[in-house]
Amino acid sequence: MLLTERQLEWELTREPAGRSGAANMTIDASLLAEAARAGRSFVRLYRFDPPCLSLGRNEPAAAQYDRAAIARLGLDVVRRPTGGGAVWHEHEVTYAVAASIATFGGLRAAYHAIHARLAAALQTLGVATALAPDRPTARPPDRRGSCFATPVGGEVLVGGRKLIGSAQVREGRAFLQHGSILLAGSQEMIAAVSREPQAASAATTLSKELRRQVTWDEVADAVVRAWGDELTPAALYRRLPPSTALFADPFWTWRR
Amino acid sequence: MANIPADLRYTKDHEYVKRTSDAAVVQVGITDYAQGELGDVVYVDLPKVGAVFASGDVFGTIEAVKAVSELYAPLAGTVTEVNKALEGDPALVNRDPYGAGWMIKLRPKTAAELDQLLSNEAYKKQIG
Repeated sequence: MLLTERQLEWELTREPAGRSGAANMTIDASLLAEAARAGRSFVRLYRFDPPCLSLGRNEPAAAQYDRAAIARLGLDVVRRPTGGGAVWHEHEVTYAVAASIATFGGLRAAYHAIHARLAAALQTLGVATALAPDRPTARPPDRRGSCFATPVGGEVLVGGRKLIGSAQVREGRAFLQHGSILLAGSQEMIAAVSREPQAASAATTLSKELRRQVTWDEVADAVVRAWGDELTPAALYRRLPPSTALFADPFWTWRR
Repeated sequence: MANIPADLRYTKDHEYVKRTSDAAVVQVGITDYAQGELGDVVYVDLPKVGAVFASGDVFGTIEAVKAVSELYAPLAGTVTEVNKALEGDPALVNRDPYGAGWMIKLRPKTAAELDQLLSNEAYKKQIG
């Protein structure tokens, strides 16, 4: 099942301008569909504007988060197509990788391979990154708690604290993994809109680790330099997603 | 080493088919190897009783740790029962994939399709 990593040509898009949660999830889902349909491989570097709360595909959000408080605060909120817990996307470089499953093989192999590339990129900025051990000592996060509450095997840590939070979905012969490389800020917004106390965040940020401001472009450049395979500019989504209907639909966002 | 029982049939996508006491109905779930690869299962999304699938159709999804994966119908047929216990305790898939962690019961459209699935030896060979 764990196939050898192949030398691939990846199509790269850099979107420093930022989009809404629904637009970003629609694009990521379209990359997954294109990877499944045509075997293309994508790396997308982007961000959220306005800042956005994203929920995991199967999180029991209605019970877990205060929808009225989210509305009162005027937060953009979206439910991802991928698993895992909630993420507050504000000061980060968001990445998405969509490719055929054969590219990296099994689930854990893909998680490791992508994180190893991202960790190597961040090392070039001077951060001492390490990958979390494959079998975590504690149980993985339960349904309560943000994505950054507990590291799981293969995730990127600095001094035991999580710098990148990622999640994955596999459909047909392709997968999408996306995640947040934290530049600064905190995940406290999740606690602020949660109905119950949250586990303390185990996150750290690049600015905290490097004791200086780290920019989106700086990190994006590092990822591109360290990726290892050929990256060519994508012919930006030859077929742009027709609409953000699914991911903008409150019925999807609050479906459980 | 994953447990791959000799009396079951398998797909290359890691679903198994097990005969039940009702000759017209089979039990479907994912293999011990698959649950080990996925890690701790936190959610299983299953179809409704009465749903009809062609062989290879997506019949549900499973989330383990941070990843959502599709589940594929090993045979064409109609769902006669879904395992409600997985709603409250999805980790049954990890603890007992061939028993309490089953997913759906299916009335196959044709019995002959079962013979086209992989034997335990063929499945073992596939997973190496």
